[in-house]
This record gives sequence, C-alpha cells and structure tokens, in this order.
Amino acid sequence: MSSKVTNRIALSFIVLCALIMAGTLAALLGYLLVKGVTSLSWSFLTSESSSFMAGGGIKDQLWNSFYVLIITMLLTVPIGVCGGIYLAEYARPGKLTSYIRSCVEVLASLPSIVVGMFGMLIFVNYFGWKYSVLSGALVLTVFNLPVIVRVTEDGFRSLPLHQKEGGLALGLTHWHTIKTILLPAAFPSILTGIILSAGRVFGESAALLFTAGLSTPNLNFTNWNPASSDSPLNLFRSAETLSVHIWAVNTSGIIPDIQRVANGSAAVLVICVLLFNLIARTVGKMINKKLSGKQ
Amino acid sequence: MVVQLENNVSCFTGTPAVDTPVLIDAENVNIYYGDNHAVKQVSMPIHEKSITALIGPSGCGKSTFIRTINRMNDLIATARCEGNIDYHGVNILNPKVDVVQLRKEIGMVFQQPNPFPKSISENIQLPLKFTGERNKKKLKEITEKCLRQVGLWDEVKDRLDRSATGLSGGQQQRLCIARALALKPDVILLDEPTSALDPVSSSKIEELLLELKKDYTIVIVTHNMQQAARIADYTAFFYQGELVEFGTTKTLFTRPEKKNTADYISGRFG
Repeated sequence: MSSKVTNRIALSFIVLCALIMAGTLAALLGYLLVKGVTSLSWSFLTSESSSFMAGGGIKDQLWNSFYVLIITMLLTVPIGVCGGIYLAEYARPGKLTSYIRSCVEVLASLPSIVVGMFGMLIFVNYFGWKYSVLSGALVLTVFNLPVIVRVTEDGFRSLPLHQKEGGLALGLTHWHTIKTILLPAAFPSILTGIILSAGRVFGESAALLFTAGLSTPNLNFTNWNPASSDSPLNLFRSAETLSVHIWAVNTSGIIPDIQRVANGSAAVLVICVLLFNLIARTVGKMINKKLSGKQ
Repeated sequence: MVVQLENNVSCFTGTPAVDTPVLIDAENVNIYYGDNHAVKQVSMPIHEKSITALIGPSGCGKSTFIRTINRMNDLIATARCEGNIDYHGVNILNPKVDVVQLRKEIGMVFQQPNPFPKSISENIQLPLKFTGERNKKKLKEITEKCLRQVGLWDEVKDRLDRSATGLSGGQQQRLCIARALALKPDVILLDEPTSALDPVSSSKIEELLLELKKDYTIVIVTHNMQQAARIADYTAFFYQGELVEFGTTKTLFTRPEKKNTADYISGRFG
C-alpha cells in the first residue's frame, strides 16, 4: 500500500471519528432542546413546583442550583487555587508531593455517588447539618476541589519559565512574582477551568441526593435574612436542585405532567451549562486582553 | 594562522580596556547539575564599569556560570555550587545571602526577550512598586529616564499603556534592559541578549551596552566572537566547563596563550 493511500485512510478515519463525536453531541443537544423548549415559558421558570397537580414550575430548584453552586465555588476556588499554586510553585519533588498529587487524582476520580455517601455520613449525620445547602455544597467541594487544583497547577506549568525568571531576576520575591506576574498570566486558563467545572457542579445529582435532599421548604423570596428558616439564603434548609428534581420527578413523581417538567428542566440545565461554556470563553478572552494592556 | 588572527584584530573596535578595580571575584567555582560537573574550578575577576564577555562553544558552562552570579541557578533543583564569588566582601554563593536583595544589585537580561504580558510602563514600574515606590510622578519620571537610556522613549512614548508583547523583538529586549536599569543595579548580567535578534537590533544593543558601561558593570555571554571583540574590555574563553583563558579582549584576540583559544577565535571549532 502506498503511503498516499495510508495517509488518506488515516485522514478519513480521523474525520469519521470527529464526525461521530460531533454528531452525537448535536443529536443529544438537539433532542433535549427540541423536546424541552416547547415546555419552557416564563411561568415555568418563575413558579413553584407542585407535588401532585399539573402546571408546576422550577423556580425553587433553579435558585437552589445556583445557590449551591455559588457556595461551592466560594469554598473551592480559594482552596483549590492555593493548592494548585503550592503544587506548581512551592512543592519540591519528593514523597510528600507525589502523595498529595495522587490524593488529588484519586479524589478527582471518585464516583460521585460514593462522595455523596461520604457526605451523608460526615456532614449530614456526624455534624448533624441534615439535608441542607451547606451539606450539599461541602460534598460538591470535595468533588470539585481536585479539578480546581489541577486546573491551577496546569495553568501555572504552561507558563514559559522565562516569565518567572524575569520576575525573580528583578529582585521580586517568589510570592510577589506569583502574585503580580504568574497568576495574572495564568488567570484566563484558570478562570476557564473554574467556569467549566461550574458546569459540572451545576449538573451534579448523585452526590446531592443524600446531602442537599429531595425537597425544598416553602421559600419566601422577600425574606433575605439568612438566619430565618424560610429565607432562600438559609444554609441549613434542604435544597432540591434542578438535576435532582429531574431525577426525582422521573422516578417518584405523581404529577400528571412529568414529561413536560422533566423535559423543560433538562433543557434549562443544558442551556445553563452551555452558557457557562460560552461565558468561560468570552470572559477568559476579555480578562486576558485587559491584563496584558492594549494590543 | 597569523592571517586569521589578523582578521579578528580588524574587527576589534572596542575601546581599549582601562584597568578598573575588581568588583566581583570568582574563586574555584564548581557547579554541578546532579552528577554533571558543568563548571570546573573557575577563577576570574569582573572589573567595575567595564564589559566582560564570556565566550565559548555551546555547553561550555558560560551560561551556567553567569546565572550563578545572581543565583538564578537556585531555580534548578539539581544545581549545586561550590567555591567563592566575592562581591563587596560577601560570598554570593553563601546560602544565607538574601537573593532578593542580591538580584536588585545584580540584574539580569535573558536570551529570549521576556517582557511581562502587561503594558510597557507597567513592565518598568512593577519592580519599582515592589520596592515601595508609590509616587506616581516619580514612577513616570523613572519610566521615561530608563526608556531614554535604552533609546526606546521616542519609539514608545505614545503607547506606554499598550501591551509590551506587541513590540518587536529588539524593542522588547531593550525594554527588558530598561526594566533592569530601573532598579539602579551595580551589575547587569546578559545571557546571549542578541542571539534571538536581527543584526540591526543587535547592533543597537551593542551600542547601548557601550554607553551603559560608563555607569554599570556588565557581564555578557555571547556566541558571537565578533560581538565580544567589538564591545568587551575583558574576555573569558570557556571550554568544556573550564575557564581556558581570561584576559583583556585585545590580548585574548591578538596573542592568545592557549592553543584552544587560538583555535576557537580563528574559527577552527565551535
């Protein structure tokens, strides 16, 4: 077989694989959106879900999803970014470092249902926080932390060495070099990683089943005092998120319009994740431009 | 042989060395990367307010040696240094030396121009702000002064807020030199500063260095023998980790003592 023919075969095979991948994605998205968009409406997004009558919405679930996400990110980003900086910049190669790194890898590859069980035992039972926003967010933190660590470490490692040398050669301390030169330079890639991981956290369900719960108390969206029990900001109330809602409605729902609610919720979920991805790209580019001065 | 040496003499246009006091004195310096003995028993002086060139073929240890003078090799986990490099009565290689302070006094410019991906003025002001300079007027003054010193002011004065990565390679390298000057160092180390640049930019940098040596002590690593001959007052020839010969540039290029030196500068190898 001539090398030209081999070349063509290889090319066709690779293009075929790419098409299969893109086709699957397009079909899946199309299916979800086409089926779901018809049930989307403003009232669907802004009305409360109903337990046995038709016509319920997803207001509380949508809010819970975002609220749990924000709390998770507040916990993960600082710890994860610092951990990543430690691994990339300070950790000397050795037993401790490789131990930490393998812990991060194992943590990242744990099945989410297992992390959920762990969360139930520790946060829900042992600490007695019951099914709550806090338990859910902490479990998602366990789940998301290794991702942020990895993203930060990779972001720092992909910077050219001469940037760090440049900073140090100017008499900057290591920390100041990290703070003023390396972190801004790595920021766009770290931010992209954070937002992409946000999409994953937003869509997580298994880990939340036993930690954030399958129900939401009646929320009063005019009461923003985090200490009161019907406030949307209360950390110690149970909080059914959107993806958990999809699961719950499908497995044990007794409402007549299960299909409509499930399809609509799925569409909202997918649209949100798509938005995260788009935002990740544009914000990353914008910040990169801003930090590096006008071109 | 004589003819070839004559050729080299003709390219020697640098000012003849004036004997200035020794500022940095290296004695029996050995540098290892793991088991690799990269620099062997090097002893040489670096004279104040003059240009000292380190020449030699690739892998001869000249870059390793210059990176040791401001302890940049600390970044390499496997690197290990022994010996004594005296600077104002202190051994630079002493682990107790404050490397941050040391690098403020002994600045460095690298082979690859490495401006930070920030605006041109921020590139110069960043290290100044670190040292505690907050006065905006003063910062602007120093920025202008340093950019003038490297002959970049007229080229960039209208776009100080633009990204430094948009400059040409030669401009970037001059910005890196300006950035090092802003800290008022004693010594500027340059590790092959022109090897990534075109000939016109290179000759601008050479002129700049000749200007700067009036106020600064300059050590330059170069692949380019003609460059050493043109600008250096003193030249050190490194070969396989050893310092083969050190002397005034004129002596080294016209009457080299060692056969290796003569072979290298006449282009027999390297």
